[in-house]
Amino acid sequence: MHIPDGYLSPQTCAAAYAVAVPTLAVASRRVSAVLRTKQVPLLAMFAAVSFLVMMFNVPIPDGTTAHAVGAVIIAIVLGPWAAVIAVSVALLFQALLFGDGGVLAYGANVVNMAILMPFVGYAVYRLIAGRSALTATRRVVAAGLAGFVGINAAGLATAIELGIQPDLFHTAAGAPLYSPYHLSQSIPAMALAHVIVAGPVEAVLTAGVFGYLVRANPSALAATHPGLSGEPSSSSTPSRPPGLLSPARVAVGFVVLLAALSPLGLLAPGGAFGENAPDDLPLADLGLDAIPAGMERYAGFWSHTLLGDYGFADGQNATLAYWVCAVLGIAIVGIAVYAAGRLFVWTTRGRSGRTPVQVHS
Amino acid sequence: MTARVLKPAPAWLVSSEQPIGTGRVGRRKRAAFLEKTPGDGAEVVRRAMYAESADPRGDRPGVLFRIDPRIKLVALVVLLLGVALVHTPVTLAVVYLGLVLLAWAGGVSVGAFVTRVWLFVPLFTAVALAPATLSVITPGEVLVPLWTWHGAQEGITSQGLTSAGLVILRVACSVSLVLLVTISTSWNRLLAALGALGVPRIFVMVIAMAYRYLFVLLGSVLDMVLARKARTVQPVAHTAGDRRFVGAAVGTLLGRAGHLSEEVHQAMTARGYAGQHHTLTGFRASGMDLLALAASLMVAVVIVGGDHLLR
Repeated sequence: MHIPDGYLSPQTCAAAYAVAVPTLAVASRRVSAVLRTKQVPLLAMFAAVSFLVMMFNVPIPDGTTAHAVGAVIIAIVLGPWAAVIAVSVALLFQALLFGDGGVLAYGANVVNMAILMPFVGYAVYRLIAGRSALTATRRVVAAGLAGFVGINAAGLATAIELGIQPDLFHTAAGAPLYSPYHLSQSIPAMALAHVIVAGPVEAVLTAGVFGYLVRANPSALAATHPGLSGEPSSSSTPSRPPGLLSPARVAVGFVVLLAALSPLGLLAPGGAFGENAPDDLPLADLGLDAIPAGMERYAGFWSHTLLGDYGFADGQNATLAYWVCAVLGIAIVGIAVYAAGRLFVWTTRGRSGRTPVQVHS
Repeated sequence: MTARVLKPAPAWLVSSEQPIGTGRVGRRKRAAFLEKTPGDGAEVVRRAMYAESADPRGDRPGVLFRIDPRIKLVALVVLLLGVALVHTPVTLAVVYLGLVLLAWAGGVSVGAFVTRVWLFVPLFTAVALAPATLSVITPGEVLVPLWTWHGAQEGITSQGLTSAGLVILRVACSVSLVLLVTISTSWNRLLAALGALGVPRIFVMVIAMAYRYLFVLLGSVLDMVLARKARTVQPVAHTAGDRRFVGAAVGTLLGRAGHLSEEVHQAMTARGYAGQHHTLTGFRASGMDLLALAASLMVAVVIVGGDHLLR
């Protein structure tokens, strides 16, 4: 998954650095505030571990072996911000000393494997593990699924970065300048490899290491599991997940994700299935003589839309109207997600009978 | 020397020979994980030693070895950008020849420099790019017709070949550039240069320390794997137990890293560490360094400008 130099355009690399550098700055500030003088040796050791985890050969049943990235287990043990730094340092060694991954592409590799992977994996782990006891099987399953989802998120991001290259950057004759595979090829190829091989391998490693630490060295998990012992949590020690997933944050995250992913829709070829107006139907291709009667009758059933065809009623200021529609749409989705989150919090709080407590640093 | 802490594993353990005992020879699985992990570990040490050797030919170090590492890093980024902006394979081929010449003139051993790049490029890049030369992925003018689909000729296209050539040569040039900098600069000086160029000190210190302890922890990984291998009397079958061993090994590694960081932290505070970071290496750019910087900027401009004329 390490992208070498030459596969990504300089523009893509610059965009990736624009995400990676501020994230690394925030990560180092957050980690420094907590660890003070201890930060340097601790992060150094775990950066070395992160490098070595990528070197481990995980045995797979057909007799061959595969490597895991290990970013998710490091996030579960140290917290996602520390994992960002540890994996970034490991990626730097690989780029400068071992020739794995490029220097211009370092930002993209950091975004995929050192930022997305630990954060997505850690969120999945927290979501599934919930408030279960440290020794619960549910936590081991949560760790495994977190590894699986985390590496697939990184793989998807890699596929998107590579897949947008041929459409955006090509010569006048149409020869792709960088990675030549389109989104329609890069995403299935990466998905196949990650769902079948890399995902299960990461899941086995993450669940295996987590299970081992719970059995043999639970103190190693103390940093990210405050107040959790082997016993099921009693009513006096609220160990609810911290405000990581508050309704407002989920709503904002959802809106950001929507805004980030929507340009993909503009790049993707083809139209939306089943959205044609009756007059636009390719009747001849479908073997029809006329528009089906029911469709004809109900197509105009509701004509009182506020912003029909993404424009104002009088048809003026088309660009402004389009932007109004976009902002309104995003706001409505954000509010709906926020409301659903509030409802969820309200119902679960009613059941558990206590308020969320901010415990994590 | 960081690698000295590693006890070299006996050859009979590292080699992919049959484990001691009466294994069923015919059914032994190839590439069993117990053999591959020590092999990969040895490879890490070998490549680190190669990257760290920074050994010029002869007594007098070549020009590349004497240039200020800060200048080398800036020139690296400038030239990588230049290479990334090229649109024709011919320009990239010329750039690659220029890099080989630079390696030769700069005192880097050319044979190793060329083989290391071309061992990596065909394996990973050429194989991955081969399907992209076909018209189903890169449509265009079909040069080598292979089959017909609904009456249309399908096969290798000129656009596909251009694209594959561009990417392969671009990867070769980029890898060569990074290699030229890393083999002509010792790791410590490279890190100090990163710090001098504005990378936060704490990062540089974490990187330096991580590199140092990488080999200590690698030793402990190899010990675990070799201990397991020494107790293996039957061919490994890649069962759930084997996977559990890897989980336990990585878990132990995490635990050891935690302990080690405690000890190192205590040792650091005992020596007066209070969170400030100092470095010994001071840099002073000479006239030759500034000349090298100007030359690299000019070469990047020539690469991009010349490529514009060729388009």
